[in-house]
Amino acid sequence: MLYCPQCRIQIRGVKERCVLCGNTLSMLDPDKGKEEVFPVISPAYERHLAIRILVFISFAAVVASFAIRMIFPTDVNWPLFVVFGLVSMWLSLVVIVRKSHNIPKTIMWQVTVVTLLSILWDWQTGWRGWSINYLMPIIYVSAELVMYITARIMKLSIRDYITYAMLDGLFGILPVIFILFGWVQVLYPSVICIAVSVIFLAGIFIFQGEDIKNEWNKRMHI
Amino acid sequence: MKAQKYVEWSRLDNASKIFPATWTLKDPKVFRIACELTEAVKPELLQKALDQTIDDIPVYKSVLRRGMFWYYMEKSDMRPEAHMESNTVCAPIYVGLRYNLLFRVSFFKNRINLEVFHALSDGAGALRFLQTLVHYYIILIGKGKFENTAAATDNASVSGLMDDSFGKHFIGQCGKRNRADVKDAKAYQIRGVRFDDNRMQLIEGSMSAKKVLDEAHKNDVTLTAYLASLFVYAIGKEMRARGRKYPVVLTVPVNLRQYYESVTVRNFFGFINISYRFDSDTEDLTTVIQGISERFKKALTVEQLDYQSNKYMSIERNLFARIVPLPIKDLVARLVVSKSVRHTTSIISNIGKITMPLEFAPYIRQFSVCTSAPRPQMTLCSYGDRLVVSISSPYRETDIQRNFFRVLSDYGIDIEISSSF
Repeated sequence: MLYCPQCRIQIRGVKERCVLCGNTLSMLDPDKGKEEVFPVISPAYERHLAIRILVFISFAAVVASFAIRMIFPTDVNWPLFVVFGLVSMWLSLVVIVRKSHNIPKTIMWQVTVVTLLSILWDWQTGWRGWSINYLMPIIYVSAELVMYITARIMKLSIRDYITYAMLDGLFGILPVIFILFGWVQVLYPSVICIAVSVIFLAGIFIFQGEDIKNEWNKRMHI
Repeated sequence: MKAQKYVEWSRLDNASKIFPATWTLKDPKVFRIACELTEAVKPELLQKALDQTIDDIPVYKSVLRRGMFWYYMEKSDMRPEAHMESNTVCAPIYVGLRYNLLFRVSFFKNRINLEVFHALSDGAGALRFLQTLVHYYIILIGKGKFENTAAATDNASVSGLMDDSFGKHFIGQCGKRNRADVKDAKAYQIRGVRFDDNRMQLIEGSMSAKKVLDEAHKNDVTLTAYLASLFVYAIGKEMRARGRKYPVVLTVPVNLRQYYESVTVRNFFGFINISYRFDSDTEDLTTVIQGISERFKKALTVEQLDYQSNKYMSIERNLFARIVPLPIKDLVARLVVSKSVRHTTSIISNIGKITMPLEFAPYIRQFSVCTSAPRPQMTLCSYGDRLVVSISSPYRETDIQRNFFRVLSDYGIDIEISSSF
């Protein structure tokens, strides 16, 4: 056992100096109390270097593209697209990393982000309507499929995905609004999307109605 | 898609509600109770004992989930695993949306550690879990020797163990302030240089309970009041002259099971605040002890505890507070807590005298308890004649710890110090 003559205390484990006062120690009983009491834990290593590099490249790319357009002027404001592209990339990345422990939730966030970004892109590139004509119906239907397949493969418990499956189904009915307001020029993707979503939602309610009720009671208790 | 079985769930009790909202990496609201045996822990037997314990106290299988308005506990079928200690002391357990068990059991050489996220249990509840675990473990070690040894914990039904005792004993009507509350003034704050990685250093001093108790009785005060006084004195010695205009305020958690009938392993505690102002820099220890002891007597009354718990209950039952969505509640809770920490200098928590069956005495060396600490904090417990006082601190400075233990060693008490690094 080690001993600090200044503090008059014994110290367990192997220490160079007194943990209280920092003075040197003397050996009291060499056979006793030599065992370490706590494990040595190495410090957490720097995990964010890759992200720092990506942030740096993004930042440099934006500055460089604006600088290049100043030197070589063009009609199209293409550096703005660089910014949009990077924002899209980062949004998707952040969502995936932050919600990665919950796949159904990640899917829902991705659907939301992609919906918003596609409208933004379509609008910025002269509103040709591809976002609501094709992209959104396709995304909603594929999200429903992906959700169902992941739930089966990962053997997810119903409570883990029911909320997101329902939300996704509701998203899939959104194109009704597009049709009613006459925003879509091509009808069939939206119609298919609505039909699939209605069937999807009906399936959830018919097979899992009881669970939805329980889940609702839990989540909404006040 | 298969239909699922009905999953048991329960609301969080009054005190638990604050912890999921206010944990941070600096203060993950985790505490540890450890039992040091006289021989090295056998992992397979510990795992077996853990499996038996979790069947006795199934509320420990809960995971924490977010609802629209409140957090809630849901029973899970995860199986806890006893693993070799590989984390820093009181490392975060609940880290937001990951669904995991709210406690962990680890071992290192002779020691069994139980670490608990505070929303699951308080010290007394976690102690019950550890006592049960150690009980089963020693029965397994004893190979049939202790088959009929009765547990040191009283018998309780499974439903009694998961009681929401706040809901049972307090209605949430507290009337007017029934005594002059100490006006919340800014308290003295201990400052220091933090360790990297949000680590904290744990310094434990193990000593004879009887000798310390004798010292306390010489001054005619209780053990908690005595050690609290030494702690305040140790803090006071490091105060700069400018700090002296603020009082040292210690928050002392109180186990409400002593005052209200309950055997719950969930949270059931209140707290009192002990405030002490250093008038001059020559204040001696006896003056501090008398002052602190007097304040303890004044603050620790059933009426005061009753009033306090009812006050917190009334906040929870407030209709407006109930219908506010959870993210906003979290935000408000964080704001309120970050303001209220200014009114506290430190926390001192005594989880008391731990009893185990007498036959087990040759197997158990000591128990110890510590908490994650955003500032230096003190915890203590005793088993037999071993009193272990732990001071956990996120700061590199160890002056307060040194002052504290040197006072005790000056009285001729043998102290054995162990430090987490």
